[in-house]
Amino acid sequence: MVDGIDGDKREKAGITRRRFTLGVIIASVAGAFGSLFALLKVLSPEKKGGGYVTTIQPGDKLVYAKGGNMGAPLRASSLNVGDAVLAFPAGKSSNPANLVQVIKLQETEFKPPMHLNLTDRGFVAYSAICTHLGCTVSWVKNQQAPAASYTECFCHNSIFDPSRGAKVMGGPAPIPLAQIGVKVADDGTLVFTSDFTGPIGPQVG
Amino acid sequence: MSIFTWFDERLELKKFKAKFLVKTFPTHPTFLLGELALFSFITLVATGVFLGFLYEPSTKMVSLFGAMVPAAYASVVKIDILPLGMIIRRIHHWSAMLMIAAVLTHLMRIYFTSAYRKPREINWLIGLCLLGTAMVAAFTGYLLPYSQFSVTATSIAYYVSKSVPWIGDWVSRLLFAGEFPSDGTVPRFFFMHVMLIPATLIGLISLHLLIIVKQKHTEPRSNRNRKEAEGGRRLIGIPIWPEQGVISLSFYLFLLFVVVLMATYIPLNPIETYGPPSPGTPVMRPDWYFLPVYGFLKLIPGDLSFTFLGGKITPETIGGVIFPGLLFLAAALMPFLDRWKEPQHYIANPLQRPFMTSLGVGAGVFICMTAVAGYIDVLHITPNRMTAYAILATLAAWGVTYTLLRRYSRKRGTDV
Repeated sequence: MVDGIDGDKREKAGITRRRFTLGVIIASVAGAFGSLFALLKVLSPEKKGGGYVTTIQPGDKLVYAKGGNMGAPLRASSLNVGDAVLAFPAGKSSNPANLVQVIKLQETEFKPPMHLNLTDRGFVAYSAICTHLGCTVSWVKNQQAPAASYTECFCHNSIFDPSRGAKVMGGPAPIPLAQIGVKVADDGTLVFTSDFTGPIGPQVG
Repeated sequence: MSIFTWFDERLELKKFKAKFLVKTFPTHPTFLLGELALFSFITLVATGVFLGFLYEPSTKMVSLFGAMVPAAYASVVKIDILPLGMIIRRIHHWSAMLMIAAVLTHLMRIYFTSAYRKPREINWLIGLCLLGTAMVAAFTGYLLPYSQFSVTATSIAYYVSKSVPWIGDWVSRLLFAGEFPSDGTVPRFFFMHVMLIPATLIGLISLHLLIIVKQKHTEPRSNRNRKEAEGGRRLIGIPIWPEQGVISLSFYLFLLFVVVLMATYIPLNPIETYGPPSPGTPVMRPDWYFLPVYGFLKLIPGDLSFTFLGGKITPETIGGVIFPGLLFLAAALMPFLDRWKEPQHYIANPLQRPFMTSLGVGAGVFICMTAVAGYIDVLHITPNRMTAYAILATLAAWGVTYTLLRRYSRKRGTDV
């Protein structure tokens, strides 16, 4: 009874217990969840310089990226026409953006949009990171006709033409693999001579 | 005083038995698929506990037989070396496939017998959520062994999520704990795989079952005639315990035997073959339930991108997000396209529902064709030709099914 009278008085003052409680609940929930939004920021950290950022410098020596000679200098004499290997710049193999595919072809096969000035004695190098979804590309060697060999990403079968500047010949890759300059040094090893000619890695976002 | 009486006096077990364990379960050979999914989930939890005790969610480099490999990879190699360790890991993997297969066939059973109709629309939607969650559970499990396969598959998913316009950048950093691969990805995926997702699954499964208890199971159509003859209205079937329970349990035990047999003799995800993460990506395909998305990603031309409301829609978004999203959306809409005023408690004969059945067959053929597209490299088919095959096969399956069923139901009458 006393409560009832009390309630009536408050109602006249413009606020009931029900409305007050509701207000407290709404304010608490809004406040709590509002604060939680800050957490979402914490949970999605932004790595500075994320994505594929190469650290290759002109003059870096090429070394084998895998296999038995991993880390050993790549020599021009070890590749025949129609061969390709994965290589890193010496001492910089921890950065996957530095991975390149070095290919040896007949120089006469090279056609635009290949950057001829970035090749040397049939050696050409491209980023080995597929521009579709970031898998490492592979070399599909044609034993009978080495010139018909090509680069393929085995993840979703994007095909790149190595003698035409890694132009996309098929599959879902949106852009060619970026070319990078290489030359044969005096001691017979391969060295980088330039930066990539275009963007590397998946072209998303 | 027996132990049962002791508990019964405190928990009223007899009352519980009288109320729930005698619930009627209608009998039909296809009514066991959902239970099969549930039992596979129990196997997954049991084997998952074993694996969770031994797994180390970390990518810091440790020495394993003289080579430096990520700790997660090393711990899975150690599990494989333990007595029965590799078999437990394979049972876990096979059960995941079995669970998704069971959910899918259960979904097909519900769809083709039109058991999703009013009043069971909510449970249809929960079922779709269960399918999606089960697939996410499987996917987060891919990364954990941290082999070359794991990293490649997860990297693809990372770039697909990153490609989503407007929110992709933020969502990908939230899910993968920053740019993939980051040191935070494996711990985050581990937590999602062993805690967040199983908890979600348990919640959804409970809701799914509670709603079945509340709404009762659909019945075979033969029950309708029997009821009309007898004048009864109650569900016809067998009690959950012991009859139905014993049938289900023996069915499950048989499947567990098959799973253990497969786990013993068929190698599955041999991480030692893929090795730890390294440069170079071998030919690798995802488990079968991801083949449609994987195949669809191969079919989309690389130059198919456009700008929409300021966001760039790329082929990766179309293949990896929009395509599966539309499939789920279409499935979710089914009970709302196939609307009924009165509640439907009997399953329909798919042969007498030409429209819905042919739609389902067409969708099924389309999904299968996108899965086949995952193999265009070995089949030597170009993406464009495969796309044409997929569209033709879908239209043919749809048209032929519809025509045949129309003819059939003209003779036998439609079940609408």
